[in-house]
Amino acid sequence: MNSPKVRIAARDLRLEYRDEARGEHHLAVEKLSLDVRENEFLCVVGPSGCGKSTLISAIAGFLKPVAGELTLDGKRIEGPGADRGVVFQEYALLPWMTVLDNVALGPKLKGVPKTERHERARHYLAMANLSDAALKFPHELSGGMKQRTAVARTLANEPQVMLMDEPFAAIDAQTRMTLQEELLRIWSKSRITVLFVTHSVEEACFLGDRVAILTPGPGRVKEIVDVPIARDRRNWATLGADPEFARIRDYVLASVRGVDGKAA
Amino acid sequence: MKLSNAIGLLPFAAALTAWAILPLYVDYPSYMLPPLPDVWTHLLEALADGTLAGHVANSLGRLALGFAVGTGIAIPLGIAIALNRHVADTLKPLLTFLQSIAGIAWVPLAIIWFGIGIGSVVFVIANTIFFATLYNTVIGVQAIPQALHRAVRSLGGKGLSLASVLILPGALVQLIVGFRTAMAYGWRALVAAEMIAGTNGLGYMTIEAVQWYRTETVLLGMIAIGLIWLVMDRLIFEPIERVTVRRWGIVQR
Ligand SMILES: Nc1ncnc2c1ncn2[C@@H]1O[C@H](COP(=O)(O)OP(=O)(O)O)[C@@H](O)[C@H]1O
Ligand SMILES: [Mg+2]
Repeated sequence: MNSPKVRIAARDLRLEYRDEARGEHHLAVEKLSLDVRENEFLCVVGPSGCGKSTLISAIAGFLKPVAGELTLDGKRIEGPGADRGVVFQEYALLPWMTVLDNVALGPKLKGVPKTERHERARHYLAMANLSDAALKFPHELSGGMKQRTAVARTLANEPQVMLMDEPFAAIDAQTRMTLQEELLRIWSKSRITVLFVTHSVEEACFLGDRVAILTPGPGRVKEIVDVPIARDRRNWATLGADPEFARIRDYVLASVRGVDGKAA
Repeated sequence: MKLSNAIGLLPFAAALTAWAILPLYVDYPSYMLPPLPDVWTHLLEALADGTLAGHVANSLGRLALGFAVGTGIAIPLGIAIALNRHVADTLKPLLTFLQSIAGIAWVPLAIIWFGIGIGSVVFVIANTIFFATLYNTVIGVQAIPQALHRAVRSLGGKGLSLASVLILPGALVQLIVGFRTAMAYGWRALVAAEMIAGTNGLGYMTIEAVQWYRTETVLLGMIAIGLIWLVMDRLIFEPIERVTVRRWGIVQR
């Protein structure tokens, strides 16, 4: 059997926060092993505090592993880079730039000339249904629009991997469902590898090709569940009442809550 | 003019009225508080012979020069302090020590170094604006959220591009908010420095008039100092705030 190409590989990863001043350290992730495959949408789900953000930080290159291996395409991750785009829960848009300039930021940092990068930004803004907001400033947008801007900004930089850290956690439930559907629509147009972490089991099962379940901190991968639901059926109108979706979701939920009888 | 602006003129009108009618009710020598019409006449004279304009131009020129020098040093140094722990550890005690003697306390030494005149005055203004700006820069850079740093870095920002896209504009937010205070300190220091070490300018004009008991010149100088600040605040600082921090939603009012 031909196994799919692995882009990000974590092997026995150990991630810690060190407080030099107090000489303390806090273990956030231990013995975590995980493969993120080429062009898959992998969701990582786990209770808050289990180390999801820490894992994203390490892959993004902001936090060095204390032990274990962490590679992108076989090369050790040494620091942040434009090959890995990050979408943050807190949007992280620059308040002094318009939506258009925010989305054009990645190309700007690469030295792409203004007309060209604005053209590219407008393309991704159109994809995110944000064309009308191009000249607004971030504070004039709703939470949902801010996060769509952040996704457009990440995609406009054409990364190989998109890392998403609970991007919809601060958004109201109705808008969140729309954003989830939109994210899948956009992703279907520009297929890249996505690692999406969330504490919401429902969100993870709706979005992911696979769902990796983390144990309560220090986080480890407890198990990985396939979500064999066709992409063209991934909308809430269809899946909301779908028995197979419900079965997978309930299975993952039991596993996350530790009531499935399996050892953590 | 909007009503809210017009209402701000009322206290001025009240003060002028009080000044005008006070001599009718209280008996005092006119050198202590010259009648309003005398000051008005003096204003017209000073405008006609160009002396007032000369002093104002001198003072504003020094303020601009002191501002350029003070911020020119403070912004890069503030960024270095905010971003580098070693620079911060090295300089913070010294800067705290110097902060207490910033501005006008330097006048004696400035006179010895630069003599009476423009050099001393500019030195004192630059010194004053330097400290206000330095602290604003440090606070501004440190207040940039970690998520913004991470976002820009993972979009490919590093070194100079990180500085121009994130650090400078991030610091600017605080600098613009602190701009008014920095300039107000500078303007006050300027007047005081001109009184002690100047050879012209508004501060010099008022202190020099004291020797001849020309109280109307003193009053004229004080009014000019306040009025110029009011105009600068309305015509420069407010518009700058409006098209920057308020437009970006960072300061609401
Ligand atoms: N900057 C930090 N310093 C010290 N401990 C931290 C820091 N950030 C997170 N932690 C700790 O690391 C663990 C994992 O945190 P995090 O990755 O943020 O969890 P999650 O994103 O899954 O909610 C938690 O116990 C948290 O308290
Ligand atoms: Mg988190």
